[in-house]
Formats: sequence, structure tokens, C-alpha cells
Amino acid sequence: MSTREIFDGRLEAALLLAPTAIVSAVFLYYPTALAFRTSFFESGFGRAPEFVGLENYVSLLGNPEYHSSVLISVVFAAIVVVGVIAVSLYLTFLIHEVDAGQGWYLISVIWPYALPPAVGALVFLFMVHPTLGVLTGPIEALGIELDWFNDGPQAFVVVALAAIWKQIGYNVIFMIAAMKNVPDALTETAEIDGVGRLRRLVSVYVPIMTPTLFFLVIIDTIYAFFGTFAFVDLLTSGGPSNATNVLIFDLYREAFSFFNFGTASAKSVVLFLVVAVLMAVQFRLTEEYSYYGA
Amino acid sequence: MTGAIQYAKRRFESARAALGRGAGTETTESTADLGAAGVHVQLWLLAGLVLFPILVAVVVSTKQQGIVTSLPDLLPGTYAVENYREAIVDYGFARFMWNSLLMSVVVVVGKLVVSVLAAVAIVYYRVPYKDLVFLFVLFTLLLPVPVRFVPLFQLMNDLGWSNSLLAITVPYIASATTVFILRQHFLSIPTSIVETAKLDGVGPLKFTLRVLVPMSRGVLVGVSIIMFVYAWNQYLWPLVIIDSEANQVAQVGLQLLQGDVQGGQLSWSLVMAGSVLTLLPPLALMILFRKPLLETFAIQQK
Repeated sequence: MSTREIFDGRLEAALLLAPTAIVSAVFLYYPTALAFRTSFFESGFGRAPEFVGLENYVSLLGNPEYHSSVLISVVFAAIVVVGVIAVSLYLTFLIHEVDAGQGWYLISVIWPYALPPAVGALVFLFMVHPTLGVLTGPIEALGIELDWFNDGPQAFVVVALAAIWKQIGYNVIFMIAAMKNVPDALTETAEIDGVGRLRRLVSVYVPIMTPTLFFLVIIDTIYAFFGTFAFVDLLTSGGPSNATNVLIFDLYREAFSFFNFGTASAKSVVLFLVVAVLMAVQFRLTEEYSYYGA
Repeated sequence: MTGAIQYAKRRFESARAALGRGAGTETTESTADLGAAGVHVQLWLLAGLVLFPILVAVVVSTKQQGIVTSLPDLLPGTYAVENYREAIVDYGFARFMWNSLLMSVVVVVGKLVVSVLAAVAIVYYRVPYKDLVFLFVLFTLLLPVPVRFVPLFQLMNDLGWSNSLLAITVPYIASATTVFILRQHFLSIPTSIVETAKLDGVGPLKFTLRVLVPMSRGVLVGVSIIMFVYAWNQYLWPLVIIDSEANQVAQVGLQLLQGDVQGGQLSWSLVMAGSVLTLLPPLALMILFRKPLLETFAIQQK
């Protein structure tokens, strides 16, 4: 019988696994457990933690500011995910269809994968700065008064655009691989039958790419919730009037501006549930659609 | 794959039905809307949009003041050398970049070594409970930094690691993603090679260094780039745990510049110089090693 399991030293195996297991336990599982525990306490700098049971959670349930933060995060994630997927899919399709220079086009749209969010945020801050921005003049010439330091919805759009821009690279990387896997025979049949290019994208490529697209929807959702902190921090600091106060920024402020570690821990637990649900959905979808992708 | 084809064919049939019998007119219309030249034009426009912000940053970083209020102002200036020198020397980017590099290299090397060891145990050892350990590692995907940075902050204080290289490297060393990618790759190495090694009586260390590592060069380079980009771009955790400028990383260094420029004490050209500097290392690595990087991503998704 052929097997890869050619070694059987138990001690050796334990030693090999130990570093990963210990770091996971101490720096990943233990802090998470600590967050659950602290969430039942009233705790902060220079105060003795006091057990309050579910009070932190109850106060979150009744806190309209937190509700609006949840709502903002969900809307933000929806816009970012739809924006990223739509733009990336169309870009990928164009690169897939182009007859020359594919490599150059590809690198010129996947590079934002390497872009540090902090850099992306500062460049956006400069480009659409209400008074200095290089794009401010052209945008205002279209009749839009740029005032996103004071105007909530505008600030929201600026942060969302910056977040979408950064995530295009990662998405195109996965989409181009999936699109290349579409059998040529299908493309040819479609061409012979006179199906136009855009129609081919929607009716032939997208269905075959479904597993990849689901994977990206989940990854992009997690990114929108957790990977966009730098954009919010550097562009708007959650403002104006909390218009961009997404959950991750709200949590940061709770812990490191207000030093309410108890409430912050309860908010961490809520975020953990968000990740858990997203991962569970991904797991289910992967099972269901592995049929198409494998 | 056959399932995929059948599914697509079905969708495709229904699309054709929707188009109706007069497919001829549809053809001329839809090929006209996206001819070969049209594809190039659209790509130039869209790729141009994706590149535009960074081109602005580069151009502004060469100007004296960085006041660029209209598109015609976007001509390169002659102050590049002064601006970059000032960012690196006077605004501490030499220090920030060095700290970022140190953090990233330690994280990459640490993760790589630790994850190779774990993946070897998971794939090549016949021992009980190893699948449980693998699950234990995989489940950490549920625990990204944003979920645990508050308690991690307290833990670092208790350990006395705050404001140190240990704080921004050790918590990153365990990597579910890397172990998973390496495991997938090891499982794709033919068993015949593994069995030959066994017949030759090769021990685990020699097997790893002489057989596995040479057969995994592309993947090891690919995951190294992924991990470098990940570590270099960390912002939230260093912001929270590092409180002295001397130990700060480039991402948070940018945040310090942002405060000054908003307050009007600093020119935008310097901020853009700092931004370009911070972008360069991950971008250069990605472009140089794009082939193994893309191949590694292909493994990750399987």
C-alpha cells in the first residue's frame, strides 16, 4: 500500500507540531478566551475588574450608537463587496479577452494586492482633499460640492472607493485563474452560436466561476469588516458624526480612547461571531459547490 | 469539472433561448460593442484608473510644495531628491522602514520554519491526533487580529512585551494559511518519491531539507511573498502596541505624518514621498516574484 506517512515517532511529531500549536494556544486561543471572560466584567485602566454578568451585552443591545455602527458596517460591506466583485470581474474579463499585452495589463491591475491600506488612504486623502485635491476641481466641475470632512454620506463614499480600489488586485488574481479554467470548447461554441462577448461573460463564465466568486464574496466581506481599519482611521476617524464609524473602528475607540475593556471585549465577541458566521457560510457553500469547481 | 461544463451548458442554452431566434442581429450588435480595439481602449482607461492614484503620489513626491489642485499641475517637479531625503532622514522613515523590514523578515522566516515543521508532521507522520492538531490550527482562521487585539494588548502588557519587536512578531508566527498551503502542496508530491526516500532510510530532517524543500521552492517563495505583504501592511496592531517612535513601523509612521500635514505643518509632497517609500518593498517583491505568487494562490483556493 502506498502511503505518505513514512515516519511514526510520536515525540518527533509532537516536537514538530509544538511551535505552531503553542503559539496558536497562547496568542490566538487564550486572548479570545480572555475576551469572552472580560466581556462579563466592568474593566479599565487602574480599576479592579468587577463582574457584571451580561450587562455589557445588554447595554450594547440598547445602545443606538452601536446599532448605527452595525448598520453602517453592513451597508459598507455590501457596497464594498458588490463594487469589488463587479469591477474586478469586468477587468478580468477584458484581460481574458485582450489579444496582446495580457501580462502588462494584468500586473497593472493586480498590483494593489501589495498596496498598504495606510498608503492607499493617504493618497485618497490627498486626491480628493476638499481644498487641495487634484481631483477636487474636476469633480466639482461636474456640479458636486466636495465637502466630505463635514458631509457624512460623501465621507462614506470616499472610504468605500478607497477600500474597493485596494481589493481589486486580490480579486483579479483569483478570477483570472478561474476564467482561464473555462474550457475553450465552450467559448468556441458560444462564438459560433453568435453569443456576444458580454452575454458570454454573464451566461457562460460567471456560472462556471461560481465557486471562486463565492470564495471571493466571503473573503471580501471579511476584508470589508476587518481589513479597512486604516482607511477609516486615516481618512475620517469614524466621522463626520460617526458616518463612517464601522464596527472595527468603534471597537478600537472603545478600547483605546475610552478604555472600557469590558464593553470592548463584548464588542470583540460580537465581531468574532461575525467572522464565525461568515466562515460557516463559506464552508457550507464550498461543500455545496465543490461539485462545480473540482 | 464535467459538472461545471454541464451546468454552464444549461445556463448557456437558456441564454440562447432568451436571445431568441433572430441571433443574427444580436451578433453584429454585440461584437461591435467590444471589438479588439475596444478591449484595449477600455483596459487602458480602467487600468489607468487603477494606477492613477499611485502615479499622483509619485508625481507629487517630486514637487516642492505638493499643492496640485488641477490636472495640468500633474507634471513632475525637481525636488524628488530633497523630498525623499527629508522623509528618510528628518521624518524618521529610515527608522520606520527598518523596523517594518525587521518585523516582516522575522515574521516570514518564523512562520515559514514553524509551518514547514507542522506540515511535515501532518502529512508524513503516522501518529494519533495529528488531524485534531491540524483542525486546532485551521480554526485559528476564526481569530484574526481585529477579534483579539484588545485582550492581546493586555496579554502583551502582562508579559512585558509592549513596545517591542516580540510583540509585533511572535503573535503572527502561527499561520493556518501557510500550514494549509504547505499541506496541500506536500499532498501533491507523488508517493513514489516519498517511498523511495523511506527505502533509502532517510530521516525526517534530511527528508525535509533534501527532498521536500527542493521540491517546494515555488510554493515556499509564494507563501513568503504572501506573508511579507501581510506583515509589512499591518497597521492596527503596531498602532496599538508600539508607543515609541523609535520602534514604530512604516504604516504607523505614515499616520504620524498625516497628523502633521492635516495640521498644516508639513507639505503634502513629503507625505507622498513617505507613502511611495512604504509601498515600494511589497510592490517590488510582488512584481519580481509574481509567478510563484500566482501559483501559490492557485493552491490556496483548492
